[in-house]
Amino acid sequence: MEGISATVAHVERILAFIFGIVVFFVAAIALKNDWKSKGLENQVFKMMLALLALGAFLAILASVNVLAGKGVEI
Amino acid sequence: MAVASVTQAGIVGRHHEEPDQLYVETRELRVQGFLLFMVSDLVLFSSFIFAYLYLRNTGQGWPPPGAPKLDLALASINSVILFGSGATMHFALENWKHRNFTKFANWIIATIILGAMFLSGQIVEYAKISATWGGSGIFGAGFFTLTGMHGFHVFCGIIYLTVLLLQALQGKYTFQKYTGLTLGTLYWHFVDVIWVVLFSIFYLY
Amino acid sequence: MAVAAVHSGGIADHIHPEPESFLRKYVFSIDHKIIGIQYIVTCGIFMMLAGALAELIRVQLMRANGGFMTPDTYNAVFTMHGSTMVWFVIIPLLTGGFGNLIFPVQIGARDVAFPWLNMVSYWIFPVAGLMLYSSFLMGAPVAGWTEYPPMSLQGGAGTSMWCAAVFLMGIGSTLTGINFLVTILKMRAPGMTFTRMPLFVWGQFVTAPLLMIATTALGAALAALFVQREFGVPFFDPTKGGSPLLWQHMFWFYSHPAVYIMILPAFGMISEIFPTFARKPIFGYKMIAFSSCAIAILGFMVWAHHMFTSGMAPTLELPFMVLTMLIAIPTGVKIFSWTTTLFGGILEFTTPMLYSIGFLILFTIGGVTGVFLAAVPFDLHAHGTYFIVAHFHYVIAGGSLMGALAALYFWYPKMTGRMMNESWGKWSFWLYMIGMNGTFLPMHWLGLWGMPRRYAVYDPQFQTWNQIESWFSFVMTASILLTIFNAIWSIKYGKKSGANPWRARTLEWQIPSPMPYYNFKHVPSVFAAPYDFAEPLPYRGLEEELTDSPPPVPAAH
Repeated sequence: MEGISATVAHVERILAFIFGIVVFFVAAIALKNDWKSKGLENQVFKMMLALLALGAFLAILASVNVLAGKGVEI
Repeated sequence: MAVASVTQAGIVGRHHEEPDQLYVETRELRVQGFLLFMVSDLVLFSSFIFAYLYLRNTGQGWPPPGAPKLDLALASINSVILFGSGATMHFALENWKHRNFTKFANWIIATIILGAMFLSGQIVEYAKISATWGGSGIFGAGFFTLTGMHGFHVFCGIIYLTVLLLQALQGKYTFQKYTGLTLGTLYWHFVDVIWVVLFSIFYLY
Repeated sequence: MAVAAVHSGGIADHIHPEPESFLRKYVFSIDHKIIGIQYIVTCGIFMMLAGALAELIRVQLMRANGGFMTPDTYNAVFTMHGSTMVWFVIIPLLTGGFGNLIFPVQIGARDVAFPWLNMVSYWIFPVAGLMLYSSFLMGAPVAGWTEYPPMSLQGGAGTSMWCAAVFLMGIGSTLTGINFLVTILKMRAPGMTFTRMPLFVWGQFVTAPLLMIATTALGAALAALFVQREFGVPFFDPTKGGSPLLWQHMFWFYSHPAVYIMILPAFGMISEIFPTFARKPIFGYKMIAFSSCAIAILGFMVWAHHMFTSGMAPTLELPFMVLTMLIAIPTGVKIFSWTTTLFGGILEFTTPMLYSIGFLILFTIGGVTGVFLAAVPFDLHAHGTYFIVAHFHYVIAGGSLMGALAALYFWYPKMTGRMMNESWGKWSFWLYMIGMNGTFLPMHWLGLWGMPRRYAVYDPQFQTWNQIESWFSFVMTASILLTIFNAIWSIKYGKKSGANPWRARTLEWQIPSPMPYYNFKHVPSVFAAPYDFAEPLPYRGLEEELTDSPPPVPAAH
């Protein structure tokens, strides 16, 4: 059983790493394309896309244990 | 055939109706009201985030005795799934703005599916934690309250997006008047951004 | 031909059809004016309940060694008195009541931004109030309106019901805040820039974000207390890793802005009444407007001045002390502005003017004792004593409530088309001044002599002053009852007022009394602030409002 659960975590990390990178670039490119839009709601959208990119970045780092908190199973 | 005619009516209806001044002005009101609602929702989360950080730093140290360990691998992929759903929702709205109903529908369905996958991942995480529960109430006070509130917001968001999709199929939105879709996208991004914070303070801190 | 519409298309021309049925007109109305009156009436009912509880307190305190209540009952009485007054009288009266009634007309709008949500916000109010009072039947809340743990973790289910009731009320408040903020930002009449808005609107404008942001923080605290009580989640239990201090931080982070919610609208009311009855422009319009903004912002930064004796980190005491003292500055700016407004004016001592002058004096006294309390060394001595009770009653009963009473006499004609009886009004005012000061002034020295608050029995050395206070409280009650009687009697027998009995200059006085459902036949345009008594009214397009011409036609949809 131990070997199997280690593999599951391994798969999860690889997927998180790959798709994290994908999402990061999607968000960053969307942000770049929308950069010049005007209006209050568009400013909010831009902030959220930036934070989305940040989130993807953090998830990438977490997937390779560069960032990991106390109380977390490595 | 009923489905086809509904969609047909939706497509036909979508191209009529230029926005009149009343629509433009009430749209401003609705967007601002919705943004303010999101601000107050943010305050709600911030209060509980404050409570968690306060308890964590003034109590018996973290993790508290008997607390279960969190699964970083699962949370990483789950987070990416949720962030990905933010990206797909962005595409859905962009396609609507470019008058492509089919692609809009596909991307919003993808968003709903990814959102549901996120919730499933959370359930798996909760199940794993409950299995190793050491009776630590303070862990629950921090972790379960915040992630539970967030999960509830995701659940409501899934329902919200489903309703938007059904309304769009019935032709409620045109390619000029689609405030509801914009607000739904804002809400979904909001839920995403909250998760960025929660992921950081529970799994990376 | 009537004056051409100043504004065509859009929200300003969008008129709901006139409501037909009794239910739509008076019960489930979406008209901000009806909703405002509903709030005012409901607040009147809760004020009588909370006032009765107050008199129970005063009767109990006439005897040092126990009146007629057990300590447990006494605890429940003052808890419910405070909770009702803060959340079910003062806040809804000043925001949902007078706010709803008046400010949309003052900005030249036909209604608020979300009228249906406004109705929902109102109906939450009586339901939440019923929930609150039902807690008497299940072991009432007993730990004061502040419900500190660990005391709030014990006792009957009433405390959990209290959490739920106040939480629900908070939802209504939050929705009102959002509604008002969007209305003021987006629905002002053409030409009404921010510096041409009446100061009452400024009062509502700075209060709305407080309602929106602070109330949600309270909701979080209440939810945490509720889940601790009902599900054992140990937020506030130190034996399980929680902290009672966490409650105090969460609670006061809301409750300090809450006191500004209670006073900023009253500042706005006073700012309308003084120029009208001094026949003089308000002195320092911009200073009053911007100092209100400063108070609203600073109000979020001072909450821990309620916690100086709580055992929190001593390093926090100095910054909170300094920030609290800082708030006295914008407040003082206003006091000086109002006083200067009166100076050299042609003063008319009508009832609203008398109540406003009373406000000026009594709120200043309360504000000054607030500065004393901001000083940590003083607060360490005065905290938990009757000095605190004196301070907040001066600012709330001498400030907020007097402002609301002034507003009631002032705007009553706009609600009903009639005047309240002026001589009874003057009696009410003097009874109030005598009663209120007689009740709360001695509490200052009682507190400094060491009489603790929230005690059902006390040291006999304080008994004489307590008896004096109780007798004066009956005088204050008589005043309130007279005002309420006046308000009810005048609906039928009051002198008809006409549109503008006070010759005031804001927009609500330029339309008929009572105000018609559509507010304006034509939305006016505005080209100056309303306070310059030397100039004609700064509006265009109001020629038809007081004539017999037909009402505007609802938008065709």
